Amino acid sequence: MNSHAATIDHHHDATTATGIPNKKLLWWAFLASDCMFFGALISTHLVYRLNPPPGNAVPTQIFNIELTSFSTFILLMSSLLMALAVNAIQRGNVRSTRTMLLGTMFFGCLFLGGQVFEFTHFVYVKKMTLSNSIFGSTFFTLTGTHGTHVAIGVLLLGMMYVRTFKPAQGGGLLLNFVHLLAVCVTFGVAFIWFVPGMIEVVYGASFSELLREHAIPFAAGIVGLIALIALGRTRGAVEFGEKNAIDVEAIGLYWHFVDIVWIIIFTAVYLLEYL
Amino acid sequence: MSAPATTADAGHHEPSKFHFYIQIAMILSVITGVEVVLVYLPIAKWFVVTALCTLSAVKFMFVIFFFMHLRWDKVFCTILFFIGLVLAGGTMWALLHIFGADASKPLSAAMLETAHLAIA
Repeated sequence: MNSHAATIDHHHDATTATGIPNKKLLWWAFLASDCMFFGALISTHLVYRLNPPPGNAVPTQIFNIELTSFSTFILLMSSLLMALAVNAIQRGNVRSTRTMLLGTMFFGCLFLGGQVFEFTHFVYVKKMTLSNSIFGSTFFTLTGTHGTHVAIGVLLLGMMYVRTFKPAQGGGLLLNFVHLLAVCVTFGVAFIWFVPGMIEVVYGASFSELLREHAIPFAAGIVGLIALIALGRTRGAVEFGEKNAIDVEAIGLYWHFVDIVWIIIFTAVYLLEYL
Repeated sequence: MSAPATTADAGHHEPSKFHFYIQIAMILSVITGVEVVLVYLPIAKWFVVTALCTLSAVKFMFVIFFFMHLRWDKVFCTILFFIGLVLAGGTMWALLHIFGADASKPLSAAMLETAHLAIA
């Protein structure tokens, strides 16, 4: 690292009127507005739970609190890895940042896979759909919106991960595009097919049956994973460094935000139903 | 500035918060475990509801102040975020009270309540 890196202050920016980096300020403003969005969705769910129409679904007969508690733990741990990724890049450690970003994406995919399993189970086994009960409508809208936020977060983390490989001498656009494609395919297959399938296996389904049923996506996932490992090998000097800490921190703010929204949803939508 | 992919810590950067973050994550995990156990304990409902809300708020604050760095950032970031948070909380409070009033209850819910009273 040169001497310029030693002078980077990651919490204050003397070049802006507020002393706050503009990217960070923008993200905080967006997250404040997103608070209101989720506030409206959570209160809509609670209003209908407090005044349930006849024939409404009974949540405690539908929920699987063990799986949801596990998902909550996974999301908390992903927040830890995200914080460690920011910590690593603020110290100029690009390799550690990559590892932590991959870990965060992996945990995010575990959470999303749990949600895919949960939604599939609710629709096909418990017969609760988006349109056949008020509870289903508000529940799927709220948790689905949160899941979409998590999925967008995984994509943003993937883009940041690929960006850490951008060569210092410029170029490499096509290679970075292929790298991003590999990230999308690997993690997409993981949370849409692999993780929900493995949860089914934990609950007694056959692993060989799972492999037969989703052979094509799994093959695509393995190809994506091999490409991810091959492209993840060090390719010399990169442009990414401590000066990009604000970019990682900005994505981190978004990721932690989906975590705090889940903290509220877990209590308001799941736990309070068991009283 | 270009840095090699294996840039090592030269000792001139932000002090590492590695162990601190691990401790925060452990506290959050323990709180989550306590929350799950609480709902199965045979204690007063009001106490469980209060405890769950308090524990969630504690988790929320831990994440925003430590993981999201509000503790070390300029106070304006905290103010900006809390403007959204207070507006969201106020909206939730208002909606729950508006729809909690008898005149605002859905007709189907009122009919269900009447039916339950008749059965009792």
